[in-house]
This record gives sequence, structure tokens and C-alpha cells, in this order.
Amino acid sequence: MIRFGLRLTLASGREAAIRLAVMAGAVALGVWLLLSTLAGVNAVDGQVARLAALGAQIPADDGPLWWVERGGEFFDGRSISRIDVAALTTGAPVPRGLPRLPGPGEYYVSPALADLIDSTPADQLGDRYPGRRAGLIGDAALPSPGSLTVVVGGTPEFVSQLYSARRVSGFPTDPTGLPVAALDLILSVVAGGLLFPVLIFIGTATRLSAARREQRFAAMRLIGGTPRQISVVAAVESTVAALLGTAAGFALYLALREQIAGIPFTGLPFQPDDVTLGPLMTVAVALGVPVAAAVAARVALRRVRISPLGVVRRVTPKPPRWFRLLPLLLGIGELAFFIGRVPDSSNQQVAVFLPGLLLIMVGLVIAGPWLTMVGARVLARRAQRPATLIAARRLSDNPSAAFRAISGVVIGLFVTTTSVGIIHTISEERGRHVDALAAATLVTRFERNPQSIPAPVLASVTTLPGVRSVTVVRGNPERDGDYAGFALCADLARAPEYGRCADGATVAWVHEDLLGWRTKHGAGIVWPAAPLTEEQLAALPVEAVVTSTDGATATLERARTALERAFPDLQVQPVTERDRAEDQNSQLAGFEQLAAVIIFASLPIAGCSLAVAVIAGLTDRKRPFSLLRLTGVPLAVLRRVVALESAVPLLAAAALAIGAGLLGAQLFLKAQMDYTLHPPSPTYAAIVAGALLMSLAIIAATFPLLRRITGPETARSE
Amino acid sequence: MIEARDVRLSFGQTPALRGATLAVEEGEIVAVMGPSGSGKSTLLHCLAGILVPDEGEIHFDGARIDRLDETRRSTLRRDRFGFVFQFGQLVPELTAEDNIALPLLLGGARRADAVAQARPWFARLGLEGLEQRRSGELSGGQAQRIALARALVAKPRVLFADEPTGSLDSLTGEQVMDLMVDSARAQGTTVVLVTHEARVAAYADRQVVVRDGRVHALARSAS
Repeated sequence: MIRFGLRLTLASGREAAIRLAVMAGAVALGVWLLLSTLAGVNAVDGQVARLAALGAQIPADDGPLWWVERGGEFFDGRSISRIDVAALTTGAPVPRGLPRLPGPGEYYVSPALADLIDSTPADQLGDRYPGRRAGLIGDAALPSPGSLTVVVGGTPEFVSQLYSARRVSGFPTDPTGLPVAALDLILSVVAGGLLFPVLIFIGTATRLSAARREQRFAAMRLIGGTPRQISVVAAVESTVAALLGTAAGFALYLALREQIAGIPFTGLPFQPDDVTLGPLMTVAVALGVPVAAAVAARVALRRVRISPLGVVRRVTPKPPRWFRLLPLLLGIGELAFFIGRVPDSSNQQVAVFLPGLLLIMVGLVIAGPWLTMVGARVLARRAQRPATLIAARRLSDNPSAAFRAISGVVIGLFVTTTSVGIIHTISEERGRHVDALAAATLVTRFERNPQSIPAPVLASVTTLPGVRSVTVVRGNPERDGDYAGFALCADLARAPEYGRCADGATVAWVHEDLLGWRTKHGAGIVWPAAPLTEEQLAALPVEAVVTSTDGATATLERARTALERAFPDLQVQPVTERDRAEDQNSQLAGFEQLAAVIIFASLPIAGCSLAVAVIAGLTDRKRPFSLLRLTGVPLAVLRRVVALESAVPLLAAAALAIGAGLLGAQLFLKAQMDYTLHPPSPTYAAIVAGALLMSLAIIAATFPLLRRITGPETARSE
Repeated sequence: MIEARDVRLSFGQTPALRGATLAVEEGEIVAVMGPSGSGKSTLLHCLAGILVPDEGEIHFDGARIDRLDETRRSTLRRDRFGFVFQFGQLVPELTAEDNIALPLLLGGARRADAVAQARPWFARLGLEGLEQRRSGELSGGQAQRIALARALVAKPRVLFADEPTGSLDSLTGEQVMDLMVDSARAQGTTVVLVTHEARVAAYADRQVVVRDGRVHALARSAS
């Protein structure tokens, strides 16, 4: 019987070949996305492991190494990881990725940073790392090919006195316990957003051939085939398609692996070697997909009763009930409830917000058929044109089938709209204050506040071309009120771009960085007079040095390099607000890129599902439609029916998912950060519009079929 | 009123009509009979402007319709003709009421007006209470009566019926034919009826036989 099934599958003419190709194509797409997602999860784990090579140590009070990770090292908005190390013994442990530890006056750099240093004037970057370049850091310690990393050797005396210096006895070989859970969680949601539409597509494609196949099975029953034999033949057909599709999916995955590595959805592109599948995953997918297809074929057959006299559907769809709305309403209610009641810990916040968003997501899929039915019934009641009436009646008759093809879109668009809405709003809210002044201001903060800054040091920075002023801000020990620092009005007079002192003041209250956080800043500010004399001010510790520049990259990097050389023991290097914002934005941009990938994958896939559903619907109604055409109904009317049956649900579902996504984002932002949602960027709107147009074009591609299968010959021959 | 003159039509190498000629007068009911494959349905399709003959002429109200383009022939079929086929002509999504109203909607009528014109047909055809049923919820005879109402609701000049009782039992077939003939006469509609059953053809004013692609006259019915 298996051999007979194979013959039926592979040698039953053009129609069978097309059916096999469509099913195999759908499976191939699904397998490719499945493999890419699984490899993406592995890539994140691999990236974290590489990050751990220099980022995870075993602390020990008597360890043979001094180890310091510094922060805030930037070049032109790009973050540089800097580690200072000093060995106390010759046999000190060496982290992965380094051939040996750099000695005092030596440093190792990543290839990308080496290229950057070599292509940049030394006074803007290279001078920050005095000494000899000992070599390059290996891939094992670089999360991404573009990672900018430097490991600087120092004397134990120097390194040990750095702010966050600690003794280290070695490096863990197993990165277990690293914070991969959150990323895995995000990837799981993304995987859901991607895979759901694909599974729907595979399911719909399988149903495309169901009617013809079931007729054939009925004919086999008529000549004595047993239900068991029919089941075997069906399973063989699905398994062959799944095997072919799986093989094609693996080929696609291998061909596009490097492109996947280039998507920086953690903020950094991946090392191509990390985008990989373990043997277990490979075997699980290679065997699991065909087995699942065989099982699915059996399940599908259980929904129909194939007798020798034909095929009877077992289930007449019941109209969906209103209580399908409950999960959606619960999700919205849950998020709304926590506005103004945000839990303190981040774990609790995840426990509160994630279920709310998941409830909305699942709720949309559950409520979708009910909403489709209600919408279609309203449309049918109000319809004045026959096309609208036919389409609305079809949608309201079986809203679950109508919604099934587009439920993937709902998930994909909801996930992406929510995340893009949140990301974009955070980015806008935090990026708002990075105006030209903030972007041109280098702020140097001290962990161990010095009592004074030597005049030659100040002069070495002040005299750099493009530097406008250097202002020393001293700390207010009591730190009460709006302003945490004091500055000399004589110094502030040289930096009028930050404001001016109140009339008659010698010392003024100021923000530590002269900019402030989320408040207005600039020349219009009048700093209030502080009740201090110049001498009293000089007795206070230095909190920060604020360097005003013309904003040019060369000026900023030159000033930063000079400041780093002047203050070699800073834990956090001099930064601008733009550096911080771009560092954050690069990660956010990665997520936005991922959202675009999901949209561009899920919408056209949904378009394909709809096209397949359209073809199935046309096949069902071939005779009445062709007879309508005979009676003079223009083809345009039938085209309108098809368009309304597919495009309206697609567009309505897209609007619903986007609306719910924006609502979810707004509720989250309001509850968690007290932000008001900013509308997603025009780029996002363009991506959604482009993907929707592509989906509509796919649907329109079925129109020639409509003309062909409703031609007069159909009415004559059927 | 409607006339085929020396019509010839082949499907590939197979000739279906080989010089068929038939003239039908206004208000007349003509039965076209013949064995399977004789060309009777093809003749009906040519008369209705569905097919264009290879040779010969089709006239309706004195004008040639075989020279019209597809769009104008479609408009003619929609506005002037009605059709009843053997089975499967109702749009499955629509209720019986909407199916009857469909030609009026296609002609641009408002939904409420179209439904108002469709509703009296249920009483006329003995289908009261079935207004909201779908085609899948109707028996073959009920569906055929709905199809008949749909064909006549827009008051066509000509009704083309292709084996309208072919899928019905004899009793139901008779009911459908009674209704068709009565309604057509009441509206003054011309009927071209294709059938291979003599008892169905007996409802017609005149019977012709198509044999080997040509039309042969038979006796005029007594009614």
C-alpha cells in the first residue's frame, strides 16, 4: 500500500505534481524559518558564551590576577569594551581568545578595533592605549565580528588602585548561569510570531488539495479500499511532501545562514560560526517534520467521513460565541490595572507585564473568529452590492476558516507593533534630550572625587581645536534640591551655552553635567546663586569636568582621548549623551530590524495562505460562479467577491493587530515608565504598508485563475 | 424574436452544430430535444450569446448578437435573458431570498427593493418560510424553484432552460415545469427549453429535435 501511495503521489499527472510542489514549498518555507529561529537561539547562546570569555571571571581574594572592566569607552558613538589586567604571577590564568596576558605597556585588540585605530589619527583614538600592540583578540572572546574590544596590560600597582579592580583566580569554562533567559524569552516570542504564520500556511496549503484528494479516496473506497489503506495513502502523500520540503528547507537554511548572522537583533551581528544547529536539533527537525506531517494527515482525515459514495464533512462549524473575547479583555484589563501600580523588582514586572501581553496576543487569535463573524454580519446586513453580500455571507458562515488564514498576521503584527511601539517610544523619550548641545558636551565624572584639577591638565584640553570651554563642577555634599553641583560663575561665563549665573553671584548651583536630566537646558537657564565663597567652593571635591565642543567627531574624540590620558584611572570614560543614546539605539535598532524581518516574513506568508484559501474557495464554488458568468455577471463582480473575501479580513486583521499592539505598548509604557506612546516611525509604517501591498499582490495573483476556472467550459463540462 | 440562421460550431475537430436554424416567436415556449451529444445545449448557448458560432447568424429583436463583443453579450444576457440549469446554480453563501434578488442587485437595484421584489416569489412557488435557507439546506426541487424565481425575477424577455428537471424526480420535475410555464406565460416571457424528456417537452408550444447538429421540426403541442 505504501508503494501504491508513492505511485499515486509521484506519478499522478500534472495536478498531483503541482499539489506536491505547493505542499513541499510550504513545508520548505516553514522548515527554513524553524531552522533559522533555532539557529538564532543557538547564535544568541554562542554570542553570550563569547561575551563571557572576557566578561565572566572567578573572583578570589588571593587570585593571581587584577582585573578591571571599564565602562563608557566610546568612539564616534560606538561602544568599546575595555579591560585592564595585571598578572601577579607568571602562571596567571589566561581567558579564552587571548594567547597570553598582556604585560605592562602592552595591549590586545579585536580586529575591528585594530582596523579602527589604524585608520584614525592617534590623538583621536590610539593614544588612549599607550604601549605596544601585542596582538589580536581571537574570535572565542568576541561576540560579534564587529566587536570593539581592548585588553590593556598594566602594573599591579596601577590596576589594583582602579575603582572596580578585583582579584581573579580564573575564568569559567561553562557560561551557565549567564543572563540568557531574557533573550531566550524574547526569541521565543519572536519565534512564535514567525512560526505561527508558517504553520498556518502549511496547514492551509495541505487543505488546498483536500477536496480533490478526498474525492479520490472515496473512489478508492468504492472499489474496495479499507479506511486503513486510505489512511496509509494519505500519510504517504503528506510524508513525501514533508520530506521534500524538509530537504529544501535545510538547503535554504544553509544557503542563507550567513545573512542570518548579519541580523544584529541583540545589537551586534553574530559570528557566522554561532549560527548553527546542534546534531539533536538537526535530527529532531529532519525526522519530526515528516512525522508531524503524517500525523496531521491522519488527523485531517478524521474530520471527514470518506465512504464509497463520497465525502461527508463531520463537523458543521458552529458560530463562535462572545466569550471568546474574554482572554483579550482580561489581558487589556490586566495591563490597565497595573498603571500606577508597578511592582518594584524587575522579575515581578516581567511576571506582571508578560502574561498581560501574552493574554492579548492569544486573546486576539481566540477572539478573531468572533470579531470576523460580527463584522461580516454587519457588512452583510448593510451590503447593497452583490459582491459585498456574497463575501460577507461567506465570511460570516465560517469565520474560523476565514480568520485561520490571517491569524498568523495578527500574531506577527501584534508582536512587532507592540515591541516597535515600546522601543520607539523609549528611544524618543530618552533621545529627546540629545540635542546639539548635549551631543557636543563631554562629561567626565569621577568615582573618587579629586580635590582639584591641575591647571596644565585643564589647559591641555581647553587649547584643543574645537573645544569651547572646560568647566569644573564641584559636588554638593548634601545633594538636596534640583541641583547637585556648584560651579564658579567666572567659569560659567566662559560657557554661556549652558546658561548664566544669577546677577551678582560668584558661585552658582548647577546640574553636575550642566545639562540636567529630562529638564530644559541651554542658554536660557539662569543658575541660582549659591551661598558659597570661591574659597569654600575650592574646598569641595570635584564632581565632574564638563567639556564643551563644536560637536565635530574629531574634536570630541581628540578631547576624549586627551581627557582619558589626563585621568587614566577613570572607571567610566568621558561620554556625551549621544554616545549613550546611540549605544542604546543600536540595540533598539537591532530589535526594529528583527520586527521588519517578522513583518516581511509573516505578511506575505499570510498573503500566500489567503491565496491558497481563495483557490480552495474558488474550487468549491466553481460551478455556481461559472453559471453566474454565463448569465451575464461580469468577471469584475466575481473578482470583487474574491478581493473582499480575502483582502478585507487581511486589512481588518492588520488594523486590529496594529491597534491592539499599540494599545498593549501604551498600557505597558504608561504602567512601567509613565510614558505616552509615540506613533511608530514612518519607516515602520512603510514596512507594514509594503508588506501588505505584497500580500495583496499575492491575492491578486489568483485572479487569472478565477477567469480560467469560471469560464463557459466549466459549466458545460462539470 | 430570437433566431439562429444556419449556425455552425465545432469544438476542435468535433462539429457540434452543422447548419442549425431555429426561429422562436415572442411569448412562445419551444422545447429543443435530442439525444446526448446532438448539440441541443450548444444551440441554446449560441442563442443566448454564451457561445459565438463559427458560421451563421444569431438575431435577437432583429439585431445580430453574434457580432457583439463579450462585454455587450454579457450585458444582454444579464438584462434581457434568464437562465435555469440542471443543478448547482445557486450561490451557496447566499440565502434563498438573496439568491432570487441577485439579478436585481446586479442590475443596480437597492438591496431593500431587490428583496421586496424577490419575496412574493416564495408564495408563488410554494416556498414560504424558506427565505433564509441556504442552498445546502434546500431539497433539489426547492433549489430548482429558487433558481427559476431567480431567472424570472428581473422579467427577462427570454428564459433559457437547460435540462431544468434533469436532476429531479418526476413529480418534482412536473411541479417545476408547471411553475415555469405558468410564470413565463404570466410575464409573457419567451422560453427556450432544452430537454431530452418527452414529458417535459410536452409543456412547450412547439418541439424541435436537434440531430447531428441540425434542427428538425416536430409537431406543435396541443396546449
